[in-house]
Amino acid sequence: MYEGLFLLDNAHASMEWDNVVKHIHDILQKNGAEILKTEKWGEKKLAYKIKGHKRGTYLLIHFHAKNSAITTIKRDLQLSDYVIRSLIVKDDKIEELSQAVPAEGTAEKTVGAVPATAEKDLVKESDVSLKTADTV
Amino acid sequence: MTKRMFNKTSKCRFCRMGVGEVDYKDTQNLPKLTTSQGKLFSRKRSGNCARHQRSVKVSIKRARFMALLPYVA
Repeated sequence: MYEGLFLLDNAHASMEWDNVVKHIHDILQKNGAEILKTEKWGEKKLAYKIKGHKRGTYLLIHFHAKNSAITTIKRDLQLSDYVIRSLIVKDDKIEELSQAVPAEGTAEKTVGAVPATAEKDLVKESDVSLKTADTV
Repeated sequence: MTKRMFNKTSKCRFCRMGVGEVDYKDTQNLPKLTTSQGKLFSRKRSGNCARHQRSVKVSIKRARFMALLPYVA
């Protein structure tokens, strides 16, 4: 059970959102991941510039994957033109979702603003090292 | 010989809310745990228990990485 937060390039995300989501789904599925839930987090102003980007669109995906697949997923995401930055953390509480969501993972939820995470939504994450290959 | 008093009302906001781990995506509440400069508050200042302070530390660093919070404000 993993939770991935992907920061996407606005130029692509605003024009061809479905393509971009499909592209990321493909990366995950290519590495044998089973997507449980996809959520558009909306467009936000970044706290600091990343590669010249001041704004970006966030995409949140919960998925099942083998431990060994994460490395290749991260590498593929780095090679992708759409993804500015990504973070994948382990998540223990997603088990409950897996029954409710169709296996295709096409349950698209568009959220206008960034959702205020309620206390009950706070997920329990196991320790995942903060080390990522991305550089600022 | 003195009976140890158990303090039921915890100082730690996360203990009071019954939160296990702090979520890095909580862009509403995480900034409350940092200074205006974006530095983390000490436990003395935030009132967090040791466990939740560790969790907050990781969450804020994740949020910074994803540009939800500034490294330097």
